[in-house]
Amino acid sequence: MRSLLEAVSYLREYDKLANISEIARRYFAMNAFDGVLTIIGVLMGNFVAGVSDARIVLSTGLATSVAMGVSGLWGAYLTESAERKRDLDELSRVTLTDLTNTRIGRASRAAIFIVAIVDGLSPFLAALIVLIPFILAGSSEDLTWAYYTSLGLALLTLFSLGLFLGRISHGRMIVYGLKTVLAGVVSIVISFFLGVSG
Amino acid sequence: MAKIRRLVLDTLKPHEPNIIDLANVLSEIEGVAAVNISIYELDRMVENAKITIEGEDIPFSGVSDMIEEMGGTIHSIDEVVAGKKIIDDADTLQD
Repeated sequence: MRSLLEAVSYLREYDKLANISEIARRYFAMNAFDGVLTIIGVLMGNFVAGVSDARIVLSTGLATSVAMGVSGLWGAYLTESAERKRDLDELSRVTLTDLTNTRIGRASRAAIFIVAIVDGLSPFLAALIVLIPFILAGSSEDLTWAYYTSLGLALLTLFSLGLFLGRISHGRMIVYGLKTVLAGVVSIVISFFLGVSG
Repeated sequence: MAKIRRLVLDTLKPHEPNIIDLANVLSEIEGVAAVNISIYELDRMVENAKITIEGEDIPFSGVSDMIEEMGGTIHSIDEVVAGKKIIDDADTLQD
């Protein structure tokens, strides 16, 4: 219990030093948004192509989610490491001290790790939520309800993300929610017409 | 060995951790009774801080390790008082 409290206290301190929560929040919103829109694309592709096997939709959707997760994890790790190393090196140069093993250095490393995890998990989990109807569909022959429910879930997830962003900005949450839903609707409509005309 | 009762250090430190955090961790060191930190120069990434520490038996190595742990460096030791009690520097005719 004591070590858990100590860990929380260290995390709070690292958060303050390395601004972790703000950056992680930004990555979370941006990548969950990306994840939902990408999976909408996958769903619409399957839908207009007339795929009626839940396993195919699920396997393409899961493969895409995993790829987005890995991409997020790797991308954030590499970019955050590079940026934070540069900042730490510059601060070390100015203070004429090697800051690697100080609280600043440890906070910087914790930030890289946490931000990479958030960046990897957010698109993966967001996409997974959207795919739930296909997990439940099993070997059902008529997948129309699964497509509609999935797209509905995708719009709902986008709306929730909008509310989250609205809350952060202290703006009008509903307006933010509608803006993010609009992105989903635009994506669905364009994918639908591309499929129909293709 | 005589006990150090007052230390005045000239340090250079990043803006974060700020001087409240630095004062907190320094005051938790055993032998330290009180800490006073004031910023006298501010730069884009760093600041110069004058740290005054009083206590019954101030462990200098513990203090300097903690300042380094918090990302700071000691530029100079500007004043030290050691012995059985704290005395200030005596006025001279030149003062």
